[in-house]
Amino acid sequence: MSSSNKILFASSTKNLSLLRKFIEVKASDFGFDESTINQIILSVDEACTNIIKHAHKYNEKEIIEVEIQQETGQFKIIMKYKGKGFDPNDIHNPDMKDYFNKFKVGGLGVPIMKKFMNKIEYVHNNSEDNYLTLIKSLHS
Amino acid sequence: MEEFSINKRDKDNITILNLNGFLDAHTSVELEKCFEEILSENKYRIIVNFDKLSYISSAGLGVFMAFIETARENSGDIKLCGMSDKIYNIFDMLGFPILFEIYKEENSAIEKFS
Repeated sequence: MSSSNKILFASSTKNLSLLRKFIEVKASDFGFDESTINQIILSVDEACTNIIKHAHKYNEKEIIEVEIQQETGQFKIIMKYKGKGFDPNDIHNPDMKDYFNKFKVGGLGVPIMKKFMNKIEYVHNNSEDNYLTLIKSLHS
Repeated sequence: MEEFSINKRDKDNITILNLNGFLDAHTSVELEKCFEEILSENKYRIIVNFDKLSYISSAGLGVFMAFIETARENSGDIKLCGMSDKIYNIFDMLGFPILFEIYKEENSAIEKFS
């Protein structure tokens, strides 16, 4: 696996497995336990699935760039993409009782991210780039 | 390891699906088609065995949500079994055991249909 802390891939769900492998290696190198690594992998998968689906509408010509930044005790996954962005912090978790009563489908990616990550940041800059950052602390 | 595959078999008037590999936004389309096919044959008693599934994301969970109502409206059900702790924890964290019957063993799920 690449020793680089960055990967770029076409915005397609078929690349999610490649992304998960990249995150697994980086999170493992950082020192997380297996359970936490799985939580990070799932959170990043959910974030990128949302980008592919909602921001890029499954247009494989779009690119997603994922960069890992490792700071003292903090593991950051930064997803850079163009298109319609969204801030997961603006999305309320669904009422799961209502969710099951009405047999709803979808909308669980953000609750998963919020549950498993310590912090989520979203920035949209003037050049139309969106930056979605998931942060996990080593001791949390 | 194979990306994703489904082994389908019928036993005691129940359709049993064994899932292999990983179930994400890419591979969940295949499972969705499989459920559509089963329901189109008017088969509503379904067991999904997860014992060879290594990964699931919310796209995979969505497939079960999409078909459970139809199965139950037709006096059937989608019962789940054979999950590793890793997979079960995702279902449990989101509250899926409220709606779905989840068993450790496939035989237990079969018995509940009889």
